[in-house]
Amino acid sequence: MMDLFLQTLANALIQSGTYALASSGLALAVGVLHIVNFAHGEFLMVGAFVAYWLSVLAGIDPIVSLVPAGAVMFAASGVIYQASIRRVLLAPELNALLLTFGIGITLQNLAVLVFGATPRVVHTAYQLTAVTLGPVSVGVAPLITLIVSVALLAGMYAVLYRTGVGKSIRAVAQNRTGAHLVGLDVDRIYLLTFGIASALAAIAGAMVLVRIGASPHMGFGFVLKAFAIIVMAGLGNLTGVLWASLVLATAEAFVRTYVPGGGGAAEAVFFLLIFFTLVWRSWRTA
Amino acid sequence: MRWAGPAALVVALLVPLVPAGGYQQYVVQVATFVLINAGVALAWDIQARTGQLSLAPAAFFGLGAYAYTIAALRGVPLPVAFLLGPLVAGAVSLGLGVVTLRLQGLYFAIATLAFAEVVKVIFKELPLDLTGGAVGLTAPPLLGGHQTGLYYLGLCVLLLVVAASLAVRHSRLHYAFTAIRQGELTARVLGVRVVRTKLLAFVLSASLTGLVGAYATSRLFFVIPEDTFGIGLSVTALATAIFGGVYTTAGPVLGAIILRSLEEGLRMVLREGYLAVYGVILMLVILYLPGGLVSLWNRRARDAAGGD
Amino acid sequence: MLLAATDLSKRFGGVAAVRRLDFHLDPGEILAIIGPNGAGKTTVLNLLSGVFPADEGRIVLDGTDITRLPAEDRCHLGLGRAFQVVQPFPEMTVRDNLMVGALFGARQRSLAEARKRTEEVLALTGLSGRAAMPARDLTLAGEKRVEMARAIATSPRVLLLDEVMAGLLPQEADEMLAVVRAVRETGVAVLFIEHVMRVVRDLADRVVVMDFGEKIAEGSYRDVTGHPKVIEAYLGTEETGGA
Repeated sequence: MMDLFLQTLANALIQSGTYALASSGLALAVGVLHIVNFAHGEFLMVGAFVAYWLSVLAGIDPIVSLVPAGAVMFAASGVIYQASIRRVLLAPELNALLLTFGIGITLQNLAVLVFGATPRVVHTAYQLTAVTLGPVSVGVAPLITLIVSVALLAGMYAVLYRTGVGKSIRAVAQNRTGAHLVGLDVDRIYLLTFGIASALAAIAGAMVLVRIGASPHMGFGFVLKAFAIIVMAGLGNLTGVLWASLVLATAEAFVRTYVPGGGGAAEAVFFLLIFFTLVWRSWRTA
Repeated sequence: MRWAGPAALVVALLVPLVPAGGYQQYVVQVATFVLINAGVALAWDIQARTGQLSLAPAAFFGLGAYAYTIAALRGVPLPVAFLLGPLVAGAVSLGLGVVTLRLQGLYFAIATLAFAEVVKVIFKELPLDLTGGAVGLTAPPLLGGHQTGLYYLGLCVLLLVVAASLAVRHSRLHYAFTAIRQGELTARVLGVRVVRTKLLAFVLSASLTGLVGAYATSRLFFVIPEDTFGIGLSVTALATAIFGGVYTTAGPVLGAIILRSLEEGLRMVLREGYLAVYGVILMLVILYLPGGLVSLWNRRARDAAGGD
Repeated sequence: MLLAATDLSKRFGGVAAVRRLDFHLDPGEILAIIGPNGAGKTTVLNLLSGVFPADEGRIVLDGTDITRLPAEDRCHLGLGRAFQVVQPFPEMTVRDNLMVGALFGARQRSLAEARKRTEEVLALTGLSGRAAMPARDLTLAGEKRVEMARAIATSPRVLLLDEVMAGLLPQEADEMLAVVRAVRETGVAVLFIEHVMRVVRDLADRVVVMDFGEKIAEGSYRDVTGHPKVIEAYLGTEETGGA
């Protein structure tokens, strides 16, 4: 009984690492650029496919591939930013939402066209091994993804709070006009932030590949969950993302374990939480 | 533009009579899909006029479709089952609207998206003998499944949505909707009952979407949670309206004619992934033609009239 | 008394924007509220028109307690409001901007009645020539005029004007003055906030002076401008206008 409980908790912890990684990028874009990037999930999917093909064609381990996956998406997001996002930053916020929605739909369906809709999986030696800690058994692959996620998140916080670039990014997030007045190149910081956010999504994608696999439609589920997380955290609140990821992953894991036929219900938990959080907030402030 | 509406209606009436040889059935089928897409897009547009971006058309379409199918399978007379579609969708939207319409912009969009996903999961997880689970149900056809008859029924459904859209456009509601969209607080100070008006738009739009859903099911003969409540349906609705021209009656209909025909053409070449077209069009229109196709026409008309 | 505020208070965070304010407005009267920047004048109008609720105190309009009513209900009871920061509906024409007020304001009108009312107000406010123009193409003076015309179109019993003359050329301001006087002639009481002292002198029957959220003086223009507290409040501030 206790064993199952601890095992569920361990699963939740590992899942929350991926969620936090995927949501941090989204939260960063919202906080700094004030746009909600609906294509974030597809960026994650792109990362997963980059890692997949590097594994298949070049035999590179997907964990190693998180570097090229992040780099590819960093570069691609720069192009996307220059060609489209920057043109709607001053338009009504819903334009940006619809634009990124369009980008996401396009990427997703292009992936279907090019790769087919069938899910892909990679095979590595460590996927089959597990570490046992008392009653809890954790696969090596998920464990690695958790460690990588924690390391990356720590790195992101270090950059944001300990470096000059991070200081500039935070300044722009707080006050665009003010930042511009003190001589910061706001446009460049937007470009950089969007790049970092997108790279984080792609890296999260490589992690998901290791644990589950890649498919053109994988992004949508993640972006919805990332929305749930950043909405719970409060839009743009990066620290909130960490605990919100933990709460949601835990809720999901426990429903999956303890509710009969909970696989499907676990999906609904997320959306119910996002829904009630939003509604509760709107009525509290009304 | 005065002649465009009646002309389009005449063409629509003549579609099943066009001698297209072996393609006759196919032409009517594509035309029927155009009617369905136009109906959902226009119903979405009516609500968008209040400035609330709903990502839940699929939910109301699906509710209408399932209400019709479940009732029809339980022996409810088909016309009554058909009317249950809009009623159920409208009733659910009333509840949803009361709790969500205070949300602003982005938050409303995300809440409606979350709602649509919850509804989909619920219909998957409900007892099998009620909803058929993930496999869905086979729906009894209306009019004995007569294709041409169903095409004309679809035309009637679309005309009803068009009538609703025109009624809104030419009534006090037009001013209330537009004022709320362009400045909610100012609208309130000028006496517009904002919450009530938004709710009216939301319920009207959802009921019409439910009606189209019930119709589409009686034509397609099945419901499946992944398709009937699919996000693709919502994407199509808003991309169609935005492409044709938002906040107009002609725009969504024009958008549906072009996009759905294009989609059918692509489907012959590609089995999957044709939705990419909707994505690309959404991007291009937002970036380069925010008023949609209709704005091209209006711009020309204005230039011709020598106006400002 | 047509409109009366008693003991009105509003805090933002820890800062008191309006503190225990009492004032009233008689039928047909033109009352000015003046005071240095940050005195809480606009907050008073926001409390009156229902943009946000008062923390304490009461607002009574012609015998009806409106303190807790939402903005739209206050409009229906006869409060018309023009904002300092103009907020025209940008994609609507000038005419349609006025239509919104005429349709949903203090008198619920049919489309035909509202069209008639709109044409009257367009003529009254000198906007007839620009009626078909989208509001976003207007100059600031034009926007200010639409802002006021839209409030007039609601057929208010009390018109609340927030610095509708600010930023206008003298001639434009004179035209606005004439409009306000014409509206008063139709029996509408006016409460306005203004920095341009010439306008206050020419227009107001009575003046309330605020500083730090409190009323520091009340009376005729001559009375309050000679009041020692008022002189002290304005000393060292740049906003003495064209007095």
